[in-house]
This record gives sequence, C-alpha cells and structure tokens, in this order.
Amino acid sequence: MPWESALPNVLAGDAPQVAEPPMDSDAFAGFYERSARPLWAYLARVSANPALADDLAQESYVHFLSAARPELLLAEGEVAARRYLFRIATNLLRDHWRRPQSTSMEEMPEEFFAATSNAAQSDSQAILGPALAEMRPRDRQLLWLAYAEGYSHREIAEITGLASASIRLLLFRARRKIARLLREQAASPRRES
Amino acid sequence: MTFKSCSHEKEVAQLLARGPWPQVCTEELRTHVSQCRSCGDLLLVSQLFRQARTEVASAAPLASPGAIWWRAQLRRRNAAVERVGRPILGAQIFALAANLLVAVAFLIVQARHGLGWLTWLEQLPQSSALHFEKLWPSLDKLWPAALFNSGWSFALTISALAALLLFSGVAVYLATEKE
Repeated sequence: MPWESALPNVLAGDAPQVAEPPMDSDAFAGFYERSARPLWAYLARVSANPALADDLAQESYVHFLSAARPELLLAEGEVAARRYLFRIATNLLRDHWRRPQSTSMEEMPEEFFAATSNAAQSDSQAILGPALAEMRPRDRQLLWLAYAEGYSHREIAEITGLASASIRLLLFRARRKIARLLREQAASPRRES
Repeated sequence: MTFKSCSHEKEVAQLLARGPWPQVCTEELRTHVSQCRSCGDLLLVSQLFRQARTEVASAAPLASPGAIWWRAQLRRRNAAVERVGRPILGAQIFALAANLLVAVAFLIVQARHGLGWLTWLEQLPQSSALHFEKLWPSLDKLWPAALFNSGWSFALTISALAALLLFSGVAVYLATEKE
C-alpha cells in the first residue's frame, strides 16, 4: 500500500479500506435463514446449554464473515460453506470447554432455564436427553453430525479435526453406547411399573 | 468392545436418508434389521436424532442476521485499523527508545566533563546553543568535530538522526506493505 493513500485516511480519522467481504448482506441473510437453525440445534444439543448455543451460534457467523475465504464460498458452494460454519462452531465449543468454568447459578440468565424447561417438554428431549447427558462431549458431537446432520465420515473428520480413519471406530462405539443407554432407559420404566 | 459392523448398514443408512423407515424398506430388510444388533442400533439412533433435530431446530431462537452482519463488519474494520496502527505503535516505541538513548548519552557526556551542571545551566542564556545563527556557520566549518564540542549539539544531532531513522522506518514499512 503506498503511503500517499494510507496517510490521508489516518490523518483524517477515517478507517482504512477494508477488504470486500466474501458475501453481501442479502446473500448472508439467505444463507443464515437456511443454516442457523441446524447450527443452533447442534450447539444446543452438544453443549446441553441453550444460552451458550445462542452465543456460540452468533459468534460462529461473525467468525465466518470475518474470515476472508471467498474462494470457498464461490467455488465450492453452500454445502462447503455450511461445513465450514460447523467447523467454526465446533472449534468455539472446544475452546469453551477448555476454558475454566466460572459461571455461577446467579449469573445465569432466566431464559436459560425457560429454554431448558421448554425443550424438556419435547419427546426427543425426554428420550434422548438423559442418554446424551451420559455421553462424552466428543461422542455427542460425532453422533449429532453423523445421524442428525447426515455428514459422511470424511466430512465429520474435516469438521472436528479428528483423523478420518478413526471416525468410523469412534462413531461405532458411541452409537453402540447410546443405543444401549436408550434401550436401558426404555426398559427401566417398565421394570418400575 | 469388538468393532463388527453389518454389511447391510450402508443400505439401511441410504434408505433412512430417503424417507420414513417402514415405508421405504423391503420386508426382507425389515426382518434383518429386527434381528441384527448393528442395524437395529443404526435405525434407533438415526430416527431419534433426526426427530430431535427437527424439534430443536424449529424451536431455535434466532438473532437478526443484520445485527450479525454489522457486528462482523465492525470486527473486520477494527482488525484493519489495528493493522494500520501497528507501525505507528512501533514508531512510538522506537522514538521513546531513541530519546532514552539520547538522554543516557547526554548524561554520560556531561559526567565526563566533570558534572558541571550548575555552571552549564548558568551559562545557558549566553551559550551559542540558543543562537542558531551562530551555530550553523560553526557546523559548516568544523564538521563533525564541532558537533561533539558541547552536549547540546550532540543531543541535537542524535535527535535529528533518530527522527530521520523513524521516518525512514515508517516509509519503508508503508512502501513494502502489500495489503
């Protein structure tokens, strides 16, 4: 950048020229409408925290827009963009788990409890929730990406950063475990009654 | 745990992706799935997760895409401003370091001349340092020896050199900056 072009902007207090974003706002709104709900569902189910899912979903889109990768969006299309978005969300979730937890009950917003109780009313939450709670976070991620989103092993490896060869085995173990938990859960009320 | 998957799994997965399970399935495969643990697990987990996805996604509280769009633009803009401001911060640090160096050098020179601080201050109004019209001709005649005759001239020279280096650094940075 020649100094003649940079200096007047700085002296005048203007921001320097920002590179054109890979998407315009209308295109982004369309992409957001199509992809936000599955992303939120993924984050909410894997983290078991709707408030956290709200934050991370928004942050994922901000990261997505800030990362200048127009070649990805233009050349590979929306499927690749969506996969890239899930990858960002997965990394943010991992960062969140790595951070020391300091949130107390008093700091939690009331919407968190409201959202949790609403979700608890649905059938899938009642059946799947307890079983998912007993799974490790990585297993929850793998199961959701494979069976809710329908991603292939290669795509899951790309999203999670795990080795493609190990996905098959990890997924097989996670599926067997959650199926066992679901069957035990289904059998236990009958035993009690 | 032994890793033993069924050869029908792929077929079951493809049929599940196509539509609701009992309708898209042949009688033979349905019988197999009811007897095979691996395929039974796949069916149970797939159906539950798909149902959960539909329910949770429909209840998702979505933020406005416009707000997210502007937040991203603001972050891009701030990152760009920070990128441009980086050489300025570097120049400020360099200028501070150069001034500290000059101050230290000045103190050393003065210390070698017997710490004549008070005498020097008393003589300052009469010194040639404040009469620039007398200073420049002497510089022409006795360069560079005249520069080091007094601490004041030395400080001026070092400051000028520091300023020159500072502006050269900024100019080189801006000239080589690609983005």
